[in-house]
Amino acid sequence: MKISLFCNTRYMGPSVRGTWPVPATQYEPEIAQSSMQLSLDQAKLADAAGFDWISVAEHHFAPFSVTPNPMVMAGAMSQVVKRAKIALLGPNLPILNPLRIAEELAMLDTMTGGRIIAGLMRGTPNEYVTYNVNPNESRDRFAEAVKLIRRAWTEKQPFGWEGRYYQYRSISIWPRPVQQPHPPIYMSGSSEQSGKFAADNQLGLGFAVTTLPNATKSANYYRDMAVKAGWEPKPDDIIYRLGMHIADTDEEAIGDIVEAGADKPRAGITLMNMAVLSAVQDSKYYGKDTEKDREATIATHGLEEKIELGELLVGSPDTVVSQIKKIHDQLGPGILDVICAVQLGERTEKSLRLMGSKVMPQIKDW
Amino acid sequence: MNHSTSQTPSAAFTEKQVEADGFTIRYLEAGAGDPLVYIHGASGVRLSKAHDILAESYRVIAIEVPGFGDSPANEKSATMADLAATLCTAIANLGIDEYNLMGMSFGGKVVLSMGLHDNANIKALVLLAPAAIRLTDAPPPAGGPAAMKAALHAHPDQHPDLPGYAEGVLEKQHALVGRAMGPPRDQDFETALGELDIPVLACFGTEDKVMPPEVAHIYAELLPNCHLMMIYDAAHAVDADRPEAVAAVAADFFERHEKFLVRQQSDVINP
Repeated sequence: MKISLFCNTRYMGPSVRGTWPVPATQYEPEIAQSSMQLSLDQAKLADAAGFDWISVAEHHFAPFSVTPNPMVMAGAMSQVVKRAKIALLGPNLPILNPLRIAEELAMLDTMTGGRIIAGLMRGTPNEYVTYNVNPNESRDRFAEAVKLIRRAWTEKQPFGWEGRYYQYRSISIWPRPVQQPHPPIYMSGSSEQSGKFAADNQLGLGFAVTTLPNATKSANYYRDMAVKAGWEPKPDDIIYRLGMHIADTDEEAIGDIVEAGADKPRAGITLMNMAVLSAVQDSKYYGKDTEKDREATIATHGLEEKIELGELLVGSPDTVVSQIKKIHDQLGPGILDVICAVQLGERTEKSLRLMGSKVMPQIKDW
Repeated sequence: MNHSTSQTPSAAFTEKQVEADGFTIRYLEAGAGDPLVYIHGASGVRLSKAHDILAESYRVIAIEVPGFGDSPANEKSATMADLAATLCTAIANLGIDEYNLMGMSFGGKVVLSMGLHDNANIKALVLLAPAAIRLTDAPPPAGGPAAMKAALHAHPDQHPDLPGYAEGVLEKQHALVGRAMGPPRDQDFETALGELDIPVLACFGTEDKVMPPEVAHIYAELLPNCHLMMIYDAAHAVDADRPEAVAAVAADFFERHEKFLVRQQSDVINP
């Protein structure tokens, strides 16, 4: 089993809360600068501690994450992360130019000597406001863009593309991916529709902002669909994202995590603008997800419940190993993408080191 | 073809009158559908292609503020609040209960004041280059036709000269505007805006030197439910400079309010 550190690069200063897009009235450039540096430092530390992947993501117009272009952050990380793979979990494909994504990922794969993981995401519903894209067309755009990117990575002769959403007269990208035929591709999705798409297209599947029971149900469906499509997903085809903090003892770890606010209900970025959420719900963005599935996904839990539901790894190294064991046995993911409590200074660094030295050796052969 | 501001509306608009508070108020009406009331700027009623486009889907009612144009000098409306109350009464007297409201420049302050007076019946407000909050105490643009055109349009050469005024009209209008407009930063008015819960879309021309877009953030800070929209390559006469853009975003906001943030149009190239 592999461990990935999710560096979402949160803006570490005060900001307006409870709305999206977030006004920049309290923005301080120095804080953003140090927040990015902190993210790079933690990525470097995790790389040295033995983490298998470092991951970055795309979010817009909010302090929750100041990497609107994860490619830029991955480029910076490629200079400090020397061993681990760098996972792009987005880009948010339907709101971007897919050909540009193919080119940028190929650049990064070249820069890192083939250490890029290509997570192609649809983004949270609010992201469709960002570049004024109709969320109703999100799934169809995504499906076309995935095919286009794969073709751009593998076709050596210049070719045109006459799509529904994308139209190019001649494509021949340079540089090209180091990994052949192309970097591993993942998508996210808890819905059956996404699971079937991933299975039909032999893509890996990532789960975030969910619970262990929900992810397990979705993963089982994905595996069934893959078998029907003629292949069998390996553990590494499944990524599961959750919170993480490790200390010498359970008591210390829980004290730290409460200080960091992880016992508070999760405030989804989409829920910060109910008008946007409501408009997106009117569209086909959520596909065939039922109302009930969505409620389960956005439900908020307290600390004990979060641990029980597999939303959080917290405790001493041995406690965390047992928490990971439960996730391994139920869901069977090959990669855990952990979000650490980034604001705890030396305690954050220690948590990363304990993961590398005391936890990872116990789980690496699972 | 460039569509200019014009004191003569398109043929679709017909002239009518309504009584309110002892005034006989002239208005121009076109189209059918949900009522959309329009209040003009300090120069008087000037309709643009934007109004024609909106009249394709709304019942557009462009009211002439009493004291403008050919109407007698208005010495009765002592304050902006008085004026707003009279206009709300005029709309009620037309038999309209709920309506959308759009105001241009001086009319921007008028419609905000109407919102403060009558927020149960106004569904949404669109402000075009509103003059309710001003960074300086500069008077409205004035001068001959060429100077006015240069002050109002991003590309003056693409618009015909503005029509002149009959004798005494300008003085009469200025007296009312001066009295009703209040100071550049009207503290009581701004405090009251904090309670205005109607959805507001405030549009500013990126080339507007009269009400520059630098004032826009104040509207967002004061109004609890305000969205800012910068209209590219438009000056103060935003609706005349970019009529299609203004009509489209105003209609989308009137129809969907805050949900207008999320794009609805399809981008399919070929099915």
